[in-house]
Amino acid sequence: MSRDARPNRVLVSLMSLGLLTWLGLDALSVAPNRLVQGTPLSPVEALGWMVTLLGAMFMACVVWLAWRPSSARLWTALGLVTGLLVAMPLWLSGAVVAVLDPDMPQARVGIGPGLWVLLFLWLLVLVELRIRLRLRRVWVWSLLLFVIAIWGMALSQWLTPLALVQEYQARSEQFLEAVLYHLALVGAAVGASLLIGLGMALAMRRFDGLRRLGFGVLNSLQTIPSLALFGLLLAPLAWLGNQVQWLGALGVSGIGWAPAWLALVAYSLLPMVRNTYVALEGVDPGVIESARGMGMSPVQVFFQVRLPLALPVMLEGIRITTVQAIGLTAVAALIGAGGLGTFIFQGLGQAAMDLVLLGALPIIAMALVADALLGALAERMRRREAA
Amino acid sequence: MIELFDVTRRFGDETAVDRISLRVERGEFCVLVGTSGCGKSTTLRMINRLIEHSEGEIHLDGQPIRDFQEDQLRRRIGYAIQSTGLFPHWTVGRNIGLVPRLLQWSGSRIQERVEALMDLLGLPPEFAHKYPHQLSGGQAQRVGVARALAADPEILLMDEPFGALDPITRQTLQGELRDLQARLGKTIVFVTHDMDEALTLADRLVVMHEGRIVQQGRPTELLRAPANDFVASLLGGDDRGLKEAALIRVEERMLPVAPEAEGMPMVRRHATVNQALSLMLWHHTRHLLVVDEDDSPVGQLSLDVLMHKARHE
Ligand SMILES: Nc1ncnc2c1ncn2[C@@H]1O[C@H](COP(=O)(O)OP(=O)(O)O)[C@@H](O)[C@H]1O
Ligand SMILES: [Mg+2]
Repeated sequence: MSRDARPNRVLVSLMSLGLLTWLGLDALSVAPNRLVQGTPLSPVEALGWMVTLLGAMFMACVVWLAWRPSSARLWTALGLVTGLLVAMPLWLSGAVVAVLDPDMPQARVGIGPGLWVLLFLWLLVLVELRIRLRLRRVWVWSLLLFVIAIWGMALSQWLTPLALVQEYQARSEQFLEAVLYHLALVGAAVGASLLIGLGMALAMRRFDGLRRLGFGVLNSLQTIPSLALFGLLLAPLAWLGNQVQWLGALGVSGIGWAPAWLALVAYSLLPMVRNTYVALEGVDPGVIESARGMGMSPVQVFFQVRLPLALPVMLEGIRITTVQAIGLTAVAALIGAGGLGTFIFQGLGQAAMDLVLLGALPIIAMALVADALLGALAERMRRREAA
Repeated sequence: MIELFDVTRRFGDETAVDRISLRVERGEFCVLVGTSGCGKSTTLRMINRLIEHSEGEIHLDGQPIRDFQEDQLRRRIGYAIQSTGLFPHWTVGRNIGLVPRLLQWSGSRIQERVEALMDLLGLPPEFAHKYPHQLSGGQAQRVGVARALAADPEILLMDEPFGALDPITRQTLQGELRDLQARLGKTIVFVTHDMDEALTLADRLVVMHEGRIVQQGRPTELLRAPANDFVASLLGGDDRGLKEAALIRVEERMLPVAPEAEGMPMVRRHATVNQALSLMLWHHTRHLLVVDEDDSPVGQLSLDVLMHKARHE
């Protein structure tokens, strides 16, 4: 491991690609106002040759280190990549000052394709290094938090002319509200489908006929396209909201949170029920038999043995469902459900890509964080009882 | 005391256990043996009501088991199975303390009991904090037995507990279980399909076939007088002579040391007669010197005496 003579192909290709991106793709675009298409700028055009070469040297250095990857060299590479991730917002801050004309307060700077690709490639490099160096997850997360903190500082202090930041500042309260609303809708949908899913899985375990019927229905639900499902829910919910006073008062109608929540629950049920069912069935029958044989009551067997042993697999279902719901909730904005999807569709309507990003980036971040957190939790539980 | 009167169990059309009657005395080691699928496990599980019997009656100390509340009944009966059934998410200590906890013993009393049992089963105290997957097969099975004994039940039901272990570990655990039973005086019903295991452990051997009991009695009785060809072949056919010899200790057949015994091949007093016969064949001799653990002579064994004894038994 420590003296692996062969080049690490993943790192070498990722970083070579990064080098090409840096030297070949546009890093920024500058527009005089919000609606005009910006002029693309390369790194050289933005901050000059010296700085561009410095960045290129860092990346070339990582390629060189990965060519003969000993453990010490990979640690150095980790340091360099972290440095690059921290340097990018600082470079950006410098570039913004350099390219903006102080006489044009309306002008805004967009992040070009080059920087997005670089960010993506460097994160992949980080993942590869984590695997090679067998770093604990916590470690990598603290590293990322540090990088994110630097980005946050740069964004709030020096990067105000960035279009993304301006879109944010124009609606910062709306943004916070949208994030919370998005999370609340996802939480309510996942929570409800967890409860219903657990109930259904339990019923299916008891009655064989119900199992086939249940999975049949859930499978077909899953195949309905999301917009069509929203459409299908429109009429009955509008009717319900009109007929039943207190439901109407709660905001139940053909559009808004009610159909969105129902559709989210419908989509969440299949993965939830399937995983819960498989998890509960998968518990070693010998363990259950001995639990009963020792004199545990059915309730004790379920809560002290079957459920805790099924939990890691159930968590897998919760993870899939949560990530899926975070994405679907964006679509639900189309029927007036609110959430971060609102920005995406507004941005699409106004051809303002940075507004689309303002909605899309937090959704991606939420999905990644939910995925990582729930995955780590499941792994932790599984490791403790690994056979 | 466990009594079964004409007990039957059906699964749909299939009769898994067919009108069996059996009486296991207090302190008796009863072994159910038979080919796979003959209804041994079903019989065992009917005793602690993991499976309800379809017909007949099962009594515990004269009282029908249906008079007891299921969970209460099971807490009074130890149960150990081949896969151990240890809870993988609980430590060894917690696993062993399961039944006492169900019986709501105080924490300190449970703690003491767990320590005592681990000592009894030869488990080092630091194992209390390990998880089952950190144990070897033999250690896990010891924990399984400790858990079954935790609330000091009078009765122990064991379903092929040593079936998954290697031969050496299995023999060690068989020996320990025998000693344990002699010391604690438990009533044990033990299921196995391994005839050698059955013969070494059993006070009462019960041979089952297709849901019925075909013969029961002391191992030597069955070896000497099998009820039919099935029992005879199950007990080892022509090997029965050696199997019987395996049940007799050398010290039971030895004579006082004679002066000419000096220099004869040696055999330990606790060895079995079939091991002694093997030594005689190996050394081409009719006489062995019997020694104790320190290799000091305590008697001698001769083939003629063995033959003579066997003929007159
Ligand atoms: N829960 C059950 N449902 C249906 N059939 C069963 C069940 N348990 C056991 N049987 C059947 O009863 C017969 C006896 O099984 P078992 O007592 O487990 O045999 P053994 O332990 O002697 O191998 C087998 O034919 C088995 O298929
Ligand atoms: Mg069996």
